[in-house]
Amino acid sequence: MASNRESARGLPRLINVPGTRLIAALLTALALGYIAWKIGQAPPQALQFAFNGLAVGAVYALLALGFTLVYSTVWFFDLYYGAAAALGAYGVFYLRTDPSLGSRLDINSIPVNVIFGTVVAGVIAWTLHTVLEPRLRARASPTALRTGVALVAIAMGIYTAIVLSYPEHLHLTLSPAVGLATAAVGIVIAQKVAHEAVSTANSTLVALISAVPAAALGAWFGYLLFGTPEAGLYLSWGVSCLLAGCVGLALYRGLYVYMRERARSPLIMLVASLGILLAIAAFIVIVFQSAPRPLPDAFGSTPLNIAGARIKGFNVFAIGVALAGFAGMWFLLKMTSFGRAVRAIGDDEEVSKVVGINTTVIIAVVFFIGAMYAAMAGILTGHDTAVQPRMGLLLLLKGWIASVVGGIGNLYGAIVGGFVLGLVEQFGIWDLAGEWKDAISFVLLILFLSFWPRGLLPRR
Amino acid sequence: MPVNFEGIREFARIAQDPQELVRHARGNIELWANLFVIGWAVAFMLWQGFGFAVIVGTVFAIWAILAVSLNLVVGFTGLLSVGHIGFFGLGAYTMAILTSDPAYEQLRTEAIPTFGWPFFAALPVCIGLAGLTAVLVGVVFNRFRDDIFVLVSFGFAIIAFNVFLNLRSVTRGAFGIHEIARPEIGGWVFDGEVEFLLLALVFLGLVMLVSWFITTSSFGRVLTAIREDEQAIEVFGYRATHFKLAVWVISAMMTGLAGGLFASWTTFIDPNSFILLESVLLVSIVILGGLATIWGSLLGAMAFVLLEEGMRFIPYLPTEYIGQARQVVLGILLVLLMLFRPQGLVGRYRL
Repeated sequence: MASNRESARGLPRLINVPGTRLIAALLTALALGYIAWKIGQAPPQALQFAFNGLAVGAVYALLALGFTLVYSTVWFFDLYYGAAAALGAYGVFYLRTDPSLGSRLDINSIPVNVIFGTVVAGVIAWTLHTVLEPRLRARASPTALRTGVALVAIAMGIYTAIVLSYPEHLHLTLSPAVGLATAAVGIVIAQKVAHEAVSTANSTLVALISAVPAAALGAWFGYLLFGTPEAGLYLSWGVSCLLAGCVGLALYRGLYVYMRERARSPLIMLVASLGILLAIAAFIVIVFQSAPRPLPDAFGSTPLNIAGARIKGFNVFAIGVALAGFAGMWFLLKMTSFGRAVRAIGDDEEVSKVVGINTTVIIAVVFFIGAMYAAMAGILTGHDTAVQPRMGLLLLLKGWIASVVGGIGNLYGAIVGGFVLGLVEQFGIWDLAGEWKDAISFVLLILFLSFWPRGLLPRR
Repeated sequence: MPVNFEGIREFARIAQDPQELVRHARGNIELWANLFVIGWAVAFMLWQGFGFAVIVGTVFAIWAILAVSLNLVVGFTGLLSVGHIGFFGLGAYTMAILTSDPAYEQLRTEAIPTFGWPFFAALPVCIGLAGLTAVLVGVVFNRFRDDIFVLVSFGFAIIAFNVFLNLRSVTRGAFGIHEIARPEIGGWVFDGEVEFLLLALVFLGLVMLVSWFITTSSFGRVLTAIREDEQAIEVFGYRATHFKLAVWVISAMMTGLAGGLFASWTTFIDPNSFILLESVLLVSIVILGGLATIWGSLLGAMAFVLLEEGMRFIPYLPTEYIGQARQVVLGILLVLLMLFRPQGLVGRYRL
């Protein structure tokens, strides 16, 4: 089985030519020596490049994290991932554009609202059905269950369409949702804590008791949000991440599941997702036109001065997001039963099915999370530079390279690879012009595949 | 491959009975795909008139050369390359630099070296340079397979695009190169559209002939075996890497030829013709038409070119979005093909 997957990955073995290791060591020494020499020449400038590298690397690390999660679960390259990045960035553009930036605030495309409303309705319907069906099977008739689920889903779809239709009132339209979500999270956490503390606690009772403070907290949150229109930008991040995630989930559940049943090789999935990427990229151009567009400033544009080098506050935030994303994924994969299921599926999907893991559900959630990571990376890129329809494919490739550099399928490798790629790109353009950075990252990829095909931190 | 007399006899037998013919045609996607695309082409020609059809025909011929050459790598050898646009651009830029008019070049600021060669002298250089690059690239890429091969070929396309865009002293970057020579033989210039179409079709025929020879020879059978099981054919004593490298180089040379032809046809090129997206579209053409058949590539290229014209029928679609709408349709077609027909419309090999 392992060898099977090895061949599916297409990872080459190390060349069996004597001296390969010598060349690899020489290359590493050369690269490190070059960087050391450059740093010695102009330390403040080196610090500047390092900051730039970390800022870019944060985005790559986020991409690589999501990419690795998806790839090491299903073992095929899902190119929708790139489209998710573009969708996320354009979601923010759609919901939050400053009229002063010369962009059209009036791109209120009804078809777009309807499409996303439908997607969300479908995802909600699927989620509710998956969660409720096994629990209520004995108590409720299937027809009643289906009707209820369909009604809730349609309501949620309409709600999404309304939220998308009034981007300037995001804080008003979203405050009930945020309040409800806070309350729900509060109840769940209380239940978990009670369960840990007293294993015999009556969960219904705990839920009822904790519902009161949780509901109060939720109401307070909603009320706070109601009065702060400045929160719109950050709400739009959440909304576009969720939307991109929903599209990812819908794609997996509605398409990839059936395709994987028939696919003979991972290339089929790759080509199909390539088709999806093409279609979504073109769709974005049709709705938003192809010119690059700026996003509003997130944290002001005054750079921080650290030891003679400057870094934008937003870039520090991006690095923080990458680290938080890593921490979140580490927790999810290493600490929860969901993470155990994900790793089991990555090791052997058939056996996971046999031992009773609902692989379809788990993988669908993985696609949701992966697409959310990609969307967040796209949003960070969009705020840092600009959004453009072609950014998806390039970001996807960067995430792919970062995960190969770090060691494909390894969580720690993903974040290391992302930052290494960012740093190498920035130090590489020190002597060359900045336009060569894409070429540099691919040269790095080819070097890595030739000399360290398993990356810096190989998956066990 | 000898002519398939058996198939013809079989068809003659079926054709005698109309009911049998109908029964045979039903569910035969290959037949319907052929009929549909060719019928569409004929209808298009009748509708738009000959003059426009000639221009579309030249576009078709260039895409078809590209598709046929890429099919050698993707369909027959099983290496999904998304990087062929790099060789295409290399051929185009070689042609542009070699044949562009030096007198015109001197008038521009930041003059780049141009030589003013005739088309037919520059074409072998285009082919040779593409082949030479392919040898270098192929030696590195030869060890990768499947997904990783796709990734590194993406990388080649992006590196090539970066070179075209940023090596300004040779390619003049985003400004592009003007005044590329049209082909001429002994004073007779192929400056009309019809003449150029004929020339392009001649080259297309040559490329098809070469790939027909390759795929029907024992060399081609080894390629097919590599596609099916690389380790098995190595057991029989064939060096798979050598065969893969050889077909990669041949395919790149054909692509370089298409590039030279393209540069000479448009007489102006800039890096925007060689973006990664074009390469992805090219791969879609090959997969759409059918893997491991030469005819499939022609059909795919024809469907692709006609798709753009067909988009004009869609109501309320502004003209500037026709290219994008085609891309949406192509993407959805790819998904449907992968679901229901992984070998493409008339293909012989399932991906």
